[in-house]
Amino acid sequence: MTHQSDWRDEAHRYLDGDGPPPTEVRQREAVERFETAVRSFAESVPSLDAELDARVMAAVRFRVRRRRDWRWFLTPGAMSMRPALAAAAAVALIALSSAVTMVLDRGASPNTGGAIAVPAVSGGATVLVRFELVAPGAHHVTLAGSFNEWDASSIAFTPTAQAGLWSVTVPLAPGRYQYLFVVDGERWIPDPEAHAQVEDEFGQKNSLLVVGPRGVVRS
Amino acid sequence: MNGARWVVALALAMRMGLVPLAAQERDVRRELAERGAPAAFADPVLAQVEATRAAGLPAGPVADKALEGWAKHVPMQRVVMALEQLRTRLEAGRAALAVPGRPTPPEPVVTAAAEALAQGLDGDDVRQLAADAPSPEAGAAGLMVAASLRAQGLEQAAAVRAVQDGYRRGLETAQLYELPSAVADLTRRGMAVTDVARRIMEGGGLPLPPTAGAPGQAGGRPGGVPPGPGGQGQGTGKRRK
Amino acid sequence: MAGGSATQLDDAGVVRRVLGGDAEAFGVLVNRYRSAFGRYAVGFCGDSDLAADAMQEAFIRAYDGLATCEHPDRFGAWFFRILRNQCHNHATRRKTHTPLEDVPLAAEHRADDRVERSEIRAQVEAALGHLPAEQREAFVLRHVEGWSYTEMATLLGEREDRLRMRVHRARDAVRRELEAHG
Repeated sequence: MTHQSDWRDEAHRYLDGDGPPPTEVRQREAVERFETAVRSFAESVPSLDAELDARVMAAVRFRVRRRRDWRWFLTPGAMSMRPALAAAAAVALIALSSAVTMVLDRGASPNTGGAIAVPAVSGGATVLVRFELVAPGAHHVTLAGSFNEWDASSIAFTPTAQAGLWSVTVPLAPGRYQYLFVVDGERWIPDPEAHAQVEDEFGQKNSLLVVGPRGVVRS
Repeated sequence: MNGARWVVALALAMRMGLVPLAAQERDVRRELAERGAPAAFADPVLAQVEATRAAGLPAGPVADKALEGWAKHVPMQRVVMALEQLRTRLEAGRAALAVPGRPTPPEPVVTAAAEALAQGLDGDDVRQLAADAPSPEAGAAGLMVAASLRAQGLEQAAAVRAVQDGYRRGLETAQLYELPSAVADLTRRGMAVTDVARRIMEGGGLPLPPTAGAPGQAGGRPGGVPPGPGGQGQGTGKRRK
Repeated sequence: MAGGSATQLDDAGVVRRVLGGDAEAFGVLVNRYRSAFGRYAVGFCGDSDLAADAMQEAFIRAYDGLATCEHPDRFGAWFFRILRNQCHNHATRRKTHTPLEDVPLAAEHRADDRVERSEIRAQVEAALGHLPAEQREAFVLRHVEGWSYTEMATLLGEREDRLRMRVHRARDAVRRELEAHG
C-alpha cells in the first residue's frame, strides 16, 4: 500500500547512495530531517559489553570439562593409576557408597541428579550401554539425556564401518534414563529402539531406557 | 574393566549425580550459568526450584527439568509452566504416599511416586508398591519400574504385579530395573503387550536371568541397544548380534 | 597445541584451531563477532539485555555445532544466520513500547535540544517496533550497521532488490512516524 507521503524513488536512491539529493526543496528538507533522525537513532544504539565474551567462554569451558570426563573414560588405556592409589580410592568410594546407602535407609534424602538411578548398588558397578543410530546424512551426532544433564556436546557418536551407522558406548549405573539423539546440533530425535517414548513436559517426547545390572538385556 | 577404570567409573557416576552424595545443596544458578543461561532464563526458573524446596518437595527433579529445558532451547515461559506442573505432581506423589503418623518417605521415593502417577498408576497402586517394598531404595526403584512398564504399554494392574513379583522373588534393587528389558524382549519376539500382561497376571512372571553376576566385561560389549532405523536415514531394520 | 596467537588468524584458521582442541581460541571469534554484529542485535531486538541473551545463545550454539560449519572461511555468514534466528526468537519478548504521549516531560524542558533528539530516537524506535521483522532487520543493517546491499545480500542469502524494497518500506514507515509527531 502506498501512502501519499511515501517518498518518490529519487529520495530513496539518494538515501541508498545511488543518486543526488532530491531537487525539490521540500523533499530535500524532508530527506535531510530524516537522515538526521536516523543518524541520531543509529548513534544511540549501543554495542554489547565485553562481559558477554566472559559468559560465553564460561559455557565453552564447562563443555570442555564434561567432554574430557567422558572421552577419558571411553578411551582404552588412557590413564594408568598406581595400584595402591586405585585400591585406596576404591576403598574410599565403597565406604562412601555404603554411607550413602545408610543415609537413605534412615530416610535422609539428598537430591538425586538426573536419572532417578538406584544409588550405589552393592559394589556400585556401572554397565556399558551401546547406542546406535542410522543417519547417513548427518555430520555430527551426540547423545543428550538425564545421564549427562542434557548436555548436547559431551557425548559424541563416532561413525562406524557400516555406512551411515553411528555408535557410542556409555557407562551407566542401573536406573531409568531419558535421552535423545542430537543430529548436527539441531535436530533432537528419539531412539526407536528405546523401551518407550515419554512426554518431556515441553510438548515433545523423550526416549526412555531402563538399565539393569546386565545393561539393556536382550536375548 | 580394569580396577582403575572401575574406580573412576563410580566416581564419574557419583559426580554425574547417578549416585546421590550426602546432601550438599545443589547450586542450580551456577549450573545454569555454566551452560550459558542468562539471568532472564535463570531467575524465573530458580524461583520454581526454590518454591519446590520451600514446599518440602524434592527440588532435584525440578532443577534437572530446568537444565533439560535450557538444553533444548525451550522458551522460558514454557519451562516455567513445566516446572509448575512438575511441582504439582511431586505434591501428588507425596500425598499418595502419606500415611498418618509416619514421616514422609525419602525424596527418591516421592519423586518415583510422582512419576508413577504421571504414567497412569493411581494413588492406591503407589501406596501398595511403597508398602510392599523391602526398603526405600527398592520402593523408589519399584515405582520407577512400574512407571516404565506403563510407558511400555503394559496395563496398570500388570505393571504393579510385575514389580510385586520382583519384590517377592527377592530381586535386588538393581535387578528390578531389568523388568522393562524383559518386557521389551518378549514383545520383540512377537508377543503382544496385552499377552505379556496376561502372562504376568496369570502368574507366569517375566523371564529374568538368575541373580546377576558381574556386570559388563572389560573391553567387551555387553547387551547393548540394538540399532534403530531412526534418524534421518532410512530404517535398515537390521538386527545386530 | 601449537603456539602463536589465535588473534592473528583468520576465521578459518581459528575454527580449525578450535576443532583441533583449542577451545580457548573460540574467544577470538566471540570477540570479533560481538563487535561486528552486536549493534545489529541491539537494534533488532530493541533492548540490550534481550540482544545479549540472543547473542550469548547464538555463540553457544555455534560452538556446539562448529563441526557442522561447512565453510570455516565464511564463519561470519554462518554465525550470522544462527544469531538472526536467536534475535527473531528473543525479539518476541520485546518490552511493549511506551507511547510517547505517556512519557512525562517537564514543560520547561520541551524546547531542550537533548529532549527533542531523545524524542526523535524514540519515534524511530517506535516505528521500527511496528515493522515486520525482515524490514526492521534490513533497516538496522543498512542504517545502524551501515552495510551495503551487496554485503547484506551475501550475509542474508537474499536478493539485493528484495533487500532494497524492505529498506525502502521501512524508511517510509519511519518517515510517517516522524511526520505524525513532528
